[in-house]
Amino acid sequence: MANEILSISTAGAEATLPPVRGRVVRSRWLFGVLTFLTVFGPGLIVMEADNDAGAVSTYVQAGAQYGTRLLWILLLLLPVTYFIQEMVVRLGIATGKGHATMIYQRFGRWWGMFSLVDLQLVNFLTLVTEFAAISLALSHMNISPTVGVPLAAVVLITMVLSGSYRRWERVTVFLCLLDLGWIAIALKVRPSFGEVFHNTIVPGIPQGGLTASLTFLVIAIVGTTIAPWQLFFQQSCIADKRLRFSDLKWARLDTFLGAVFTIVVAGCMMLAGNAAKIHGVSFFDPAQMANDLHIFSGGFVRSAMLLLMINAAVLGTTAISLSSAWAYGEVKGWPHSLEMPIRKAPGFYLTYVLCVGLAAAIVLIPGAPLQLIILGVQVLAGIMLPSAIIFLQLLLNDKEVLGQQFVNRPWNNWVNWTIIIVLFILSLILAAQVAAPNLFPAS
Amino acid sequence: MSVINLLRPVTVTEIPENHFVVVHPLDDVPEQKVNSSGLGAMRMTTSVKLSLMSLRGYLILMMLLVLYHVMDLAGVFGSHAH
Repeated sequence: MANEILSISTAGAEATLPPVRGRVVRSRWLFGVLTFLTVFGPGLIVMEADNDAGAVSTYVQAGAQYGTRLLWILLLLLPVTYFIQEMVVRLGIATGKGHATMIYQRFGRWWGMFSLVDLQLVNFLTLVTEFAAISLALSHMNISPTVGVPLAAVVLITMVLSGSYRRWERVTVFLCLLDLGWIAIALKVRPSFGEVFHNTIVPGIPQGGLTASLTFLVIAIVGTTIAPWQLFFQQSCIADKRLRFSDLKWARLDTFLGAVFTIVVAGCMMLAGNAAKIHGVSFFDPAQMANDLHIFSGGFVRSAMLLLMINAAVLGTTAISLSSAWAYGEVKGWPHSLEMPIRKAPGFYLTYVLCVGLAAAIVLIPGAPLQLIILGVQVLAGIMLPSAIIFLQLLLNDKEVLGQQFVNRPWNNWVNWTIIIVLFILSLILAAQVAAPNLFPAS
Repeated sequence: MSVINLLRPVTVTEIPENHFVVVHPLDDVPEQKVNSSGLGAMRMTTSVKLSLMSLRGYLILMMLLVLYHVMDLAGVFGSHAH
């Protein structure tokens, strides 16, 4: 808001103002570009961090099993993921508070505690899977996980301890942009661009029809593209960055570009899997596939895939751990900001360190029940996602808090309720399949 | 002037005529946000009640599924289930 006042005051005569840190520019166009660059960050990070280790595995598997035939689902998910996160942007900018605080304040202690406990549980289990992926990729690079995993944990902890939101954001945006490497991989494996274009815009069912395994893979793609922690993360991130009312349009653009970038990267992951299908390489996990694929696609594809797997896990870990630390700090009433030094927000930083440290430690335990943990993530995410989105939708219709300016328009509500109902059904099918697999016929 | 220089803030005290000041949100004066702390719990309109009731039903169903899985693993339904 202060920003807006400053720009208005310059339209007429020269203006004097209290000292402020900023940059004076003459062109309105440059003013817009630079303002966007200062706001840019949370949208890209929340979207790209969702392309984490689990997502790499899911998208690559989809490509390895069905080639390019499921690309259209990604295109369909682009508006879905944008609409959900756009609501988070509005709520964050309007209230300046995190999602956990808002659920506590407006739905009471029981729902607040339910959301918090569920979030912490699913986040922690997801973190374990991120470190498991780091361990897997490192072992394929002949680096001992007992050295590499603790090193990754130390790097992840160091990223946030500087007491500067901006420093963390710059590093994380850089890591997000490293994912452009997936585009290089996709180009290197030389897909048929005509087929890619056709299968992206024309929905179709792969050969073999709608089997149970295809249904669950589709649900897994939807589930991995929209995750519960994203709602908590972006709202807290916006609150920590202190985005202003006047930043809303730029934050929306940031989120939209982040969504487009993420979907393009996810598509490239599918194309990497498609290369395995074309060359008859079996898929067990992305690291094994990268190894086996290098005979056909060269050392670049192998190394890039393994490194980007680690990058995906690192990105996912920092974002998920922060969403836990922010949410816990908000509910406990602790100081919780990346702008604060450790001594001023010890509880917030301790939560982050514990999340990262414990998850890394679990992965290093020989014989840790990783398969059980992955199942736990799927079930808990199935429980968490629809409930988190219901709260979000209700909060965005809360005129008492948001007034007319920020509440959902009727078309918003139609779109969002449709998305919510579809997500409810998909989450229920996935959770039912995980919890009670005997209810489903084998494909 | 490079982009990096453009993004590096300086202390601004005067704005020349027809110029603009780009201020990073973290360098700006904190603005007054909508106040939700004094409002208490959300008003239970029909749509809110219905939404929360559906959510409760969904959660109960999920818990039953998990319970079924645990009992299945414990062999309560016999070996044919596997």
